[in-house]
Amino acid sequence: MSEDFKNEVVIQLPNISIIPFQNINKAYIKVISINFFLISLTSFIGLFLLQYYLLSEDILQYIIQLYLGLGTLCILLYGYFLLAFPNRKYAIRNKDISYKYGLLVFKTTTVPFSRIQHVEIDERPISRFFNLAAIRIYTAGDDSDDLVIKGIQKQKALEIKEFISTTINE
Amino acid sequence: MNKGFSFSEFSKQSPKGLLIIYLAEIYKVLKLFWIFLFILFKDFSKFTSYGIIYIYLGVFVLLSFLFIRSYLIYLNFQFKVFNDHFILKKGILKKTNIEIPFQRIQNINFKQNIVQQLIGVFEVNIETAGSNDTEIAIKALSLEKATALKKIVSTAKFTDLNLKKEKELEPILTISPFALLKVSLTENHLQNLMLFLAVLFGFFNQIQQVSESLGQSEVLGGLITDSTSNLSTNLVLLFIVLVLLTLIALLSSFVKVFLLHFNLTTYLKKDAFEINQGLFTKKTIVLKKEKIQTITFSTNPLKRAIGISFVTFKQAVSGKAKKKKKERPIRLVGCKQEQLEVIKNTVYSNLDVLEKQKVYPNSYYAKRLFIYAGLFLLVVYSLLYFIFNHIEIAYSLVLVLPITILLILKKIKKRFYKISDSMIVVGKGVLETHLIFLNLFKVQHIQLKQSIFQKKSKVATIILQTASGKINLPCISYLEAIQLYNHTLYKVETSKKSWM
Repeated sequence: MSEDFKNEVVIQLPNISIIPFQNINKAYIKVISINFFLISLTSFIGLFLLQYYLLSEDILQYIIQLYLGLGTLCILLYGYFLLAFPNRKYAIRNKDISYKYGLLVFKTTTVPFSRIQHVEIDERPISRFFNLAAIRIYTAGDDSDDLVIKGIQKQKALEIKEFISTTINE
Repeated sequence: MNKGFSFSEFSKQSPKGLLIIYLAEIYKVLKLFWIFLFILFKDFSKFTSYGIIYIYLGVFVLLSFLFIRSYLIYLNFQFKVFNDHFILKKGILKKTNIEIPFQRIQNINFKQNIVQQLIGVFEVNIETAGSNDTEIAIKALSLEKATALKKIVSTAKFTDLNLKKEKELEPILTISPFALLKVSLTENHLQNLMLFLAVLFGFFNQIQQVSESLGQSEVLGGLITDSTSNLSTNLVLLFIVLVLLTLIALLSSFVKVFLLHFNLTTYLKKDAFEINQGLFTKKTIVLKKEKIQTITFSTNPLKRAIGISFVTFKQAVSGKAKKKKKERPIRLVGCKQEQLEVIKNTVYSNLDVLEKQKVYPNSYYAKRLFIYAGLFLLVVYSLLYFIFNHIEIAYSLVLVLPITILLILKKIKKRFYKISDSMIVVGKGVLETHLIFLNLFKVQHIQLKQSIFQKKSKVATIILQTASGKINLPCISYLEAIQLYNHTLYKVETSKKSWM
């Protein structure tokens, strides 16, 4: 019996693994870099302040290792972000929107338009500088797992939002 | 039925409601400040008679303030029915006007806590589908008024609803106190014990924090060190503690089951279940079929031996209620096989999914579980070794290792899914056995997850997100995962039925 089901699926259904996915805007890598730079800078300043005001002698003898550790952590994380960046892709079909990302763990999420509660577009300061926006899609499912696509050109994001809104209201 | 309650004029709650509001207000204050009361009583003797007068005065002022506040709340809480809308005015200083069209009212539920039972009034909860004012609670109405209100709303909504006929319905499930005793004896005692200890620990922690901040930590601290030093030296005491814990576990299961499920009766109506249960707080819940997202049928070895299971219904939680509190799922205990069949057959029209083949996870799942468990044990034992510095600790592995392996094997054996055209059934559990039923079109969104290790073994994890939580299908073969993904999307996108 389960054979029937399998055949039916392979022949008829649109297949998620072969639809063309689009890359997000290349400029978003700059946003990631700037954000990352700011965060690393603050953590280094934090460590610096700790060194002068708070840390005791026992810890201070390892201060070089601490700086090196923080530095390696930042470089590794930045490398991870850079390598993972080309994997951030999205696709819009007639009836749903999909997003995939990840480097060590690949994730593909699809939200059917008929289950969308509302769509939001937000622009963070740095993204706005590059004319980029993020689309947030909310469903009745768990909030934390809803779909967020960052780094889409603002004009395009608005178009997508418009498209989804008109499809929902049909 | 019709005693002339048309609700066309604004009406207040039953005058007895004043008492309910007053008690609720006092309870609210007590909940905020109970810890101070605790300290106050502890050191009561230390106060001079002069100070005590002030305390009495303070309590008196507080009580009268609360009474005036309750009275104003009571006066300002007014409701009426107008033009197929339920209209509610409330608020002392901040006036609120709420209008709900009847179509948006999903359920009217009655509830009675112990005080409400004593003075003979009902709390009426109006559940609405949608956004902000999710629930309206009228704290105290007489039975006639409450049923009249329910009738007005429901007859306006479903004209074909025959209230008289419902009265003669036979319940599909009734639980006698004796059956409930059997249910409570076969509960998951370990879980209930943990729950009890967690509550106790939280309580204790709160007391300790406050007394510490007041510089009295030595009282409770001394108590703890006393008992721990005794405990480590005296094996007899350890034994007594174990017996006590077992007793507490049994007792907490017993209390929990009787509090929540006393007098459980379930009626089957045209498109809903009506469930009545509770000892001190009697609850009537109307559970609409289309609002049900998932149904879980669960049992454990003890319960299976006497042939009972429990059923958990999960409903969609709407709007802000989702963020405020996690709604407790609706649970029916002590169901026999035939009642399970009735429930399955009423909610799901097509049950051919049950005849489908079970699909088990790939062997990767077993490998992953064993590796995780192994790593976990390694970390725990290295930590223990560093702390106690006795290699003898490793001897306990003789006991721990077989138990772990047995549990993992159980977990693997119970993991499967069955899929038909419209439904999916997921089996899981370790000691307990759960069977989750889900209509595929109720899925909100779907995710496919694959780590690089999973990719090498050609397996993937599917996460089905519903309006009442997610369902995982770990480590199924990649091809099956893709098919399931496509099929589910197809079902959701072509479905015309509303998911709630």
